Amino acid sequence: MNAIITESPARGDRPAIAYRAAGDRHVLVEYGDMTLDLELNFFVTSVSAHFAANPVAGLIEAAPGFRSLLLHYDPGTISHHDLLAAVEEAHDVQPPVRSLVIPSRLITLPIAFDDSESREAVRRYATTIRQDAPNIRDNSNIDYIVEYNGLPDREALYATVTGTEWWNAYTGFFPGLPFMFPLDPRNAITVPKYNPTRTWTAEGAVGIGGPCVAIYPVESPGGYQLFGRTITVFDILARHDVFRDDPILIRPGDRVRFERVSEEEVLALRRDVLENRYEYTIEDDPFSVADYIERSAGVRAEAEKLGSAREAAVAKTEVP
Amino acid sequence: MPGTYGLFDVISPGLQTTVQDHPGRPGLQSKGFFPAGPVDHLSFRVANVLVGNDPGAAGLEIPMGRLRLRVLAETSVAVTGADGSGLTLNGAPLPLWETVRVAPGDEIACSIVKGPGFRLYLAVAGGIDVPVVMRSRATYTMGGIGGVEGRALMKGDVLNGRPVPDPARLRLPMALRPMLGNNWEIEVMRGPHADPDFLTEQDWKDFVGRQWKVDLNSNRVGTRLDPHRFAWARPSGGVAGGHPSNVLDGSYPIGGINTNGDVPVILGPDGPTAGGFTVIGTVVHAGLWKVGQLRPGRDTIRFREVSLDEALALAQRVDYTTDPRHYEEL
Repeated sequence: MNAIITESPARGDRPAIAYRAAGDRHVLVEYGDMTLDLELNFFVTSVSAHFAANPVAGLIEAAPGFRSLLLHYDPGTISHHDLLAAVEEAHDVQPPVRSLVIPSRLITLPIAFDDSESREAVRRYATTIRQDAPNIRDNSNIDYIVEYNGLPDREALYATVTGTEWWNAYTGFFPGLPFMFPLDPRNAITVPKYNPTRTWTAEGAVGIGGPCVAIYPVESPGGYQLFGRTITVFDILARHDVFRDDPILIRPGDRVRFERVSEEEVLALRRDVLENRYEYTIEDDPFSVADYIERSAGVRAEAEKLGSAREAAVAKTEVP
Repeated sequence: MPGTYGLFDVISPGLQTTVQDHPGRPGLQSKGFFPAGPVDHLSFRVANVLVGNDPGAAGLEIPMGRLRLRVLAETSVAVTGADGSGLTLNGAPLPLWETVRVAPGDEIACSIVKGPGFRLYLAVAGGIDVPVVMRSRATYTMGGIGGVEGRALMKGDVLNGRPVPDPARLRLPMALRPMLGNNWEIEVMRGPHADPDFLTEQDWKDFVGRQWKVDLNSNRVGTRLDPHRFAWARPSGGVAGGHPSNVLDGSYPIGGINTNGDVPVILGPDGPTAGGFTVIGTVVHAGLWKVGQLRPGRDTIRFREVSLDEALALAQRVDYTTDPRHYEEL
């Protein structure tokens, strides 16, 4: 028996596709190669939007990953064969990725760097879990992120975070947790995760693990290196109107831009959210893949130069 | 709430007793919600059917026992699942797998489950009335929603229900009862990330040929197995990370055998929805209920590979058990 149900090579505008068995109620569809290519994620977003607009009876959900969709289906309603046929049909009607204009919202969030709750999370980790972790200096992960990426100083890291829009490739792990990647390739930084993981992280903490930036939607364990704190992005109790129809602020395909504020300010804004006085900055702003490709091409040489400088720094930095 | 009335007073809540319904919250994985719901979907549904409910109605999941409830209203209950819990009604043995009438002042109690099996399920006629949160009453511990205030039961909680006519008294025949043991065989399908591209052929043979131990640190989030060093077909995870068990993050199936470094974990109903580790095999629907009855730190598993057709046929057989036409009337 084979885990791969069927594979098709890239053809025309379609990436290579592999259908993988995942038990008798799920099929995992993977696109392209295992590379950090956001265009694969744009394709994922497009196919998932297709299923949202054209529901297939028996397909309960198509849950996105970076370059994959997990199809959850009811075998009593749709056969495996018909499911795969319906998904193939969806793939075939997808326009070329570069022509996509993806429904997207630009959400501006305040961020306080090196805030005291993130420092507290790191301090607790250093006290109770691992004292000699190389990713901790003075109860903070920030200098480690700076060093690992060969950045000149903390300010350069903060500028890297605020200097790009962050694309939410998918939401998961915990309810409402966005997995975000920089849309400006010059701002691509990376850092290893905690080893072992942390048992406590404040709600609203912002961190990076591998190439991916995440916001912690609830107080929780975690493994990302923390660098700041923002406002609430998930509220099941809908204490703010923005959560009335959906407890999750950032949907797959939304972008986040961080705006630097002081810690006092972020705490005041967090109170305003709780009291339903804050006004979230959310713009409907469809995302043009063609524009993205053009902008990326324009800065590719610079991004590659920065990338090799980072790789040189990585080689000199200890991994947790 | 209008029309509701007190059913049970929780005298002793047990270890991590939660209100669940079936199938929980499917369809919200892209928002980061795993479905929740009972780990043993079979015993749970049977309990509901025995009290005349829809098989998915809200009831209690009682891991390891130690629950004591005072009954506040005249109603019918059914308890299913693990053996060896010393379950009693007012001190006298209470039979599992059948409808039992109870009256105000009665006390339902059980001690620590000795097994075989690990979880008990208690259903009550009309179901337990807790608010519907995002389409379901199931407690999702990871998101802190559903059930009673998004948490496990506590001493002093009062569980409410709705008055319904007395259901027929039924009993699940012995021949249809789920087989509980200490050394389990659980049906899996290969993949999504197995041989030849992630595991070697020998790795897969080892996976299905080996007897796995269920780690003490197992719960609704995941059932951890003992570490095993696979050879892996790739030298590393490439861009996804150093270890060959790393992949670029994707969504996980419930029942997926998520292999984090050398430790396989069977993803439970409260598990993480997504992540960056290979899922080498997936427990099929017909085998998934067994995961709810594995005793942490005690039981062992052999995985048996089945085809899709076998998995679907087995699922029908499991679901046959939830049809009251096959039950005995008392």
